[in-house]
Amino acid sequence: MWWYVAKRLLQTIPVLLGATFIIYALVFLRPGDPIVGLFGDKPVNAATRAAIEAQYNLDQPFIVQWLLFLKDAIVFDFGQSYSGRSVNDLLAATFPTTIKLALMALVLELVLGVLAGTLAGLRKGKLFDSTMLVVSLVVIAVPIFVFGFVMQLFFGVKWDLVPPTVGANDSFKNLLLPATVLGLISFAYVLRLTRSAVAENLLADHVRTARAKGMSEGTVVRRHVLRNSLIPVITYLGTDLGALMAGAVVTEGIFNVNGVGGLAYDAIRTGESPTVVSVVTVMVLVYVVTSLLVDLLYAVLDPRIRYA
Amino acid sequence: MSERQPLLEVRDLDVAFRVNKQDVPAVRGANLTVHPGQTVAIVGESGSGKSTMAHAIIGLLPGTGHVTGGEILFEGKDIATARKKDIVALRGASIGLVPQDPMSNLNPMWRVGSQIKESLKANGIASGKVADRRVVELLEEAGLPEAQRRARQFPHEFSGGMRQRALIAMGLAARPKLLIADEPTSALDVTVQKQILDHLDTLTDELGVAVLLITHDLGLAAERADHLVVMYKGRIVESGPALEILQDPHHPYTQRLVASAPSLASQRLSSLEHRAEVREQAQRSAVQVAAVGDEAGAPPDDVITVQNLSKVFRLPGSSPFRKTDFLAVDDVSFSLRRGTTTAIVGESGSGKSTVARMVLGLLEPTSGTVTFDGVDVSDIGSRADKLALRRRMQPVFQNPYASLDPMYSVYRSIEEPLRTHDIGSSKEREARVRDLLEKVSLPASVMRRFPNELSGGQRQRVAIARALALEPEVVICDEAVSALDVLVQAQILTLLNDLQAELGLSYLFITHDLAVVRQIADDVLVMQNGKVVEAAPVETVFESPREDYTRALLDAIPGGSIPLGVVEAGDDLPRRGLDD
Repeated sequence: MWWYVAKRLLQTIPVLLGATFIIYALVFLRPGDPIVGLFGDKPVNAATRAAIEAQYNLDQPFIVQWLLFLKDAIVFDFGQSYSGRSVNDLLAATFPTTIKLALMALVLELVLGVLAGTLAGLRKGKLFDSTMLVVSLVVIAVPIFVFGFVMQLFFGVKWDLVPPTVGANDSFKNLLLPATVLGLISFAYVLRLTRSAVAENLLADHVRTARAKGMSEGTVVRRHVLRNSLIPVITYLGTDLGALMAGAVVTEGIFNVNGVGGLAYDAIRTGESPTVVSVVTVMVLVYVVTSLLVDLLYAVLDPRIRYA
Repeated sequence: MSERQPLLEVRDLDVAFRVNKQDVPAVRGANLTVHPGQTVAIVGESGSGKSTMAHAIIGLLPGTGHVTGGEILFEGKDIATARKKDIVALRGASIGLVPQDPMSNLNPMWRVGSQIKESLKANGIASGKVADRRVVELLEEAGLPEAQRRARQFPHEFSGGMRQRALIAMGLAARPKLLIADEPTSALDVTVQKQILDHLDTLTDELGVAVLLITHDLGLAAERADHLVVMYKGRIVESGPALEILQDPHHPYTQRLVASAPSLASQRLSSLEHRAEVREQAQRSAVQVAAVGDEAGAPPDDVITVQNLSKVFRLPGSSPFRKTDFLAVDDVSFSLRRGTTTAIVGESGSGKSTVARMVLGLLEPTSGTVTFDGVDVSDIGSRADKLALRRRMQPVFQNPYASLDPMYSVYRSIEEPLRTHDIGSSKEREARVRDLLEKVSLPASVMRRFPNELSGGQRQRVAIARALALEPEVVICDEAVSALDVLVQAQILTLLNDLQAELGLSYLFITHDLAVVRQIADDVLVMQNGKVVEAAPVETVFESPREDYTRALLDAIPGGSIPLGVVEAGDDLPRRGLDD
């Protein structure tokens, strides 16, 4: 077990190297000069340009730039952005909010998705099931920003139930609406996954055996259908947490959330490569850790899985 | 029969499944009586409605199944029309179930002990610590050693036989008056099957539990039950005391069933005589076939010789970077004479299929050689020579549902090997497919059909036709009849015999079932744990087995001890007919 965890953590090293390398290559290939961007309309004098290039290693070949970044990143020092702010500070200011938002979305989609999915699976082909299928199809088909603006308009502005934008105060109540919007699509997927898993497991031989023992229908569903059905859902949620954080760009934009999505978006727009690469590095770390947690959770849910 | 009230009485029962808003009947007008403590067996092939009837009795009909007429009286009360709550109360406490497949009937997520405990809790017998102790007692009673430790384990840590014991413990946990055993051992090896059934017999005798045994195996039913009920196409065609039915069957279906039950047929001398004729004819044809292909003098007598064949699998060990060796096949040697059949018999895990795969060249042996017609197979280097070897040696696998591509029509399946080997124009290939279909007794009209439109027996015929497409000299049958119903099994065996005589084929016949061996084999290899424990001509193995293990296998053939004598007349096995 511990050997398995160690092996998985060792595997993150090539993943991180590969991911940062690709990002570095992409930023390097990006047209435009970041130093010109810093000075706006004013001309850049040669001495200043040389100083800045030396400070950010821009005069070095791209491989060397990447290696120098890695050297500092090992001790979680992501250096400075071109505008002179510490990237670590930028990350510290935005990551907690995004994590909070993503976790709220995750809990919402998990609880509601599994609940609705189970009911739909048990009533396969009935009215509730058909309704849920149509609802989930609509949610998947309509772009997320449409839901974002519509829900902001109704819940935030017209009915004034929650604040329409979040701003600096990332309280639970303020984040509720963006979290709902963020989790909406995943809710639809969780619902569908749970529904088909429950409907399939209901037909399993061991479920019939459980009924033959004289157990009540509720107990049979709780003990023998639901637990077996959760495995595909857990798989999905594991990769989804990462996607929720990365996918928060649009939602954070609509609700003016001061999160990592906005940070990355601005950095890409202005060519702030130190910030972009740092955000991606942390994202990759989050992805790797959550997928490891999911794999460990498998072993808890399914005793047949033992890691060696 | 006693004058007491019957425990279970089924009267004119009709069960149907709803398909496309129409009722398709599965059980029609069935009558059945089980008295307290009695064992009644329902015998029939798959699709005969026997399992449907069992599920109707315990109120667990799958999907759209429902009772459309008649009544099911349990202790005088009709449960066909009872409320759901009352049926739930009956399940477990009054009617127990031992299901068919031990692999899929335990929930892999829960410990075995806690799944048995559920039964105690659901029926209000015990809970908490008391229930835990009772679970251990129940497992011990079902014949599971080290029950205390076993109860804490998960189903995947159990072998098939152990799981079935756990399911028996579960079925009997709440001490029901009636136990429905639905093919309780059909997924197990014969020796394990015998142990489990013996134990179930003793246990139900001691507890006075009535048993409704569902099985496709007439021999097994006759051995275990006082009363037999034979079902065919949803109807009960015959019922009565077990021996009477076996020795004097009235209904034509029962007569065919008695005639082809492999467990019973294996005792008959006539099948041995018939076999000798087939062999003689086959050997003559084989020499002719070999002489045509080989002008450089007489071919060797042995078409395949296997010498000191071993296979080691490397499995992940307990600690990182360490692998443990598993010796799957241990120093196996044998030879297959031209035009004869060598059967390799063994339980699951004995290495018999691994041998077959190595002979076919699908698996690299760790050591030892396979010689085909005097040539060492591992020496064949070029692709063309390998293709040529494949042409002369073809496999037929166990599961006809899995070995045919569902997206290929029958024509395409049979034509594919011809196309792969670039044989003939498309016209010639079509003529060849027609000819092959005729050989395996299928009408040419099935050419355009797809596997899902055929029955199991028909599919296996298609698989055989495909194997014969390249005119091989050797056919390797890996459990080729194990997945089929007895009647179909008998037909396929007859077909294989006829083809052998006609085409001079040599068969390597892999099976776990000694019962079918006598009808098809000339030489027998008994394998256990990767080793050959006995190798002898088929008569010797059946008449005077040398090894204890072989004797145990023979004893385990269900129905082997039943006196026959009357059914010799029914011995003219159905020849070349379409099944179903």
